[in-house]
Amino acid sequence: MAELVFERVTKFYGPVIGINAVSCRLCGGIVGLLGANGAGKSTFMKLASGQLRPSLGEVRVAGRAATSAAARRRVGLSPDLHVFYEEMTGFQFVYAMARLHGYSRGEARQRTQRAIEAVGMSDRAGRRLAGASHGMRQRIKLAQAMVHDPELLLLDEPLSGIDPAGRREISLLLARWAGEGRTIVFSSHILAEVEQLADRILVLVRGRLVADGALAEVRGLLEDRPFVVALEAAEPRRLAACVAELPEVRSVEVQGETVLVRTRNPQRFFSWINELVVQEGLELRRMEMLDTGAEAVFSYLEAASA
Amino acid sequence: MRLLRAWQTLVWLSARRMLFSSSTLVVLLPVAISLLFVLHRNYGAWDDSARAFDRFSRFLVAGYLLFVIPICTLAYGTSSLGGDREDRTLLFLLVRPIPRALVLLGKFSASVPLALGLLLACFGGYCLLAGEVGRLAWNAYLPAVVLSTIAYLAVFHLFAVVFRHATTVALIYALFMELVLGHMPGIIKRVAISYYGRVLMYAGGEPWGVRAPPAQWFEPISATAATWALAGLTVASLAAALAVFQWREYRDLT
Repeated sequence: MAELVFERVTKFYGPVIGINAVSCRLCGGIVGLLGANGAGKSTFMKLASGQLRPSLGEVRVAGRAATSAAARRRVGLSPDLHVFYEEMTGFQFVYAMARLHGYSRGEARQRTQRAIEAVGMSDRAGRRLAGASHGMRQRIKLAQAMVHDPELLLLDEPLSGIDPAGRREISLLLARWAGEGRTIVFSSHILAEVEQLADRILVLVRGRLVADGALAEVRGLLEDRPFVVALEAAEPRRLAACVAELPEVRSVEVQGETVLVRTRNPQRFFSWINELVVQEGLELRRMEMLDTGAEAVFSYLEAASA
Repeated sequence: MRLLRAWQTLVWLSARRMLFSSSTLVVLLPVAISLLFVLHRNYGAWDDSARAFDRFSRFLVAGYLLFVIPICTLAYGTSSLGGDREDRTLLFLLVRPIPRALVLLGKFSASVPLALGLLLACFGGYCLLAGEVGRLAWNAYLPAVVLSTIAYLAVFHLFAVVFRHATTVALIYALFMELVLGHMPGIIKRVAISYYGRVLMYAGGEPWGVRAPPAQWFEPISATAATWALAGLTVASLAAALAVFQWREYRDLT
């Protein structure tokens, strides 16, 4: 099993920092790399696949520098890129990639067939890539990434643009590959996607690794995160006074007709507020949960790790 | 063994993709036009064979060496690696276990037989159409054609490694350096590959009465020096391209 090691890795793009002092050891299982756009996920993938050299620190695959040919032999990359040799069919493309790993014609053909079958493309592998759908391209990318049986699979946004049925198929495929002893690192900016698939989660925010751990550990961090609920009422001050008495409420702020409530458990808060409104005869015009987006979650994790 | 097989695949794949690309169409146009020109001139039918050889040689210098060879080598030299860079498929090569230096050498090795084959076929076509004069020209000018072609390919590969839009830069180079600076008075013309090609061609045609431009303007060097200059330029360009390619990070691929 190839271990992917990042040791205090920093990557600068001129004055811009791509990732900042990231350290981690990944060995086996499915690792979800989570972060908003521009968080450093692609930089992480490029460093792990040896496309980029770290400005500081070291990236190693199975003890070798990730940029070495020996390391690349153990790594399969499915990039976040949708161009191929468009004149080829899916089969021809994957076969060409297998041949570029130095396999003989016969072995490359066998491996290509296996890879194409694994990604569920057997019936469509003879079609030209120029007219291939997004889903077909994703599968061909996966097939070319695993055609040489790599120990470490790096998948950059492998589920983007895939329909729900396709997502399920690919999720099962990744679980099977991980079960065969591979390390799979996949990136996504969708929290739910990572939660479904990953055994371990790395969260990157503005280039920093702000959370690293098993799903339960990262969930634990998120459970402490306060949510902001905006309530609009006819009597905001009275509402604020009542709400402040509720358990799970951390703070209350009145802004005009709006009451901003910070709570750690929005589900329970919503059930209590319903009861409160009925009991106190309050007129509630609007109730909305703010900062539920992934960016807010990432920002919270960043602040929590500081 | 596996590395050798991978490298052979890279060369074969690159050659095949280049052959069936728009570069071939770009190249075929000037080749066809120049062949039609030679057919029209019908040098083989001229009574004065010395004059026919001289005129045919001048066509080879002005039309073939200064126009067809740069266009053909530019098309294949920049597209061999530059094409992969521009359509971002270079990534699929860079993540394979082939050392970068071998990737570049593979690309160069794929473009040499393609460009050289096409240019020699074109040159052979001219010579066949020109009859006896053509046979003499083939023997006299073959080294200049081969050396110039390989030197241009090496320089254009360097451009492909360094510049994102290598074709545009190579076109500017071909127009400015080769056509303008290559024909300036003084030694500045020695920056152009075509200068050394012309030196070799004039030296090859000299026994049959082909005269180089006036020495005070052309400032010729010896054929041996020109041969070494073209060989040195090829090696230096390739070495520079290898050094840059080895360390360059192509961040724009994804």
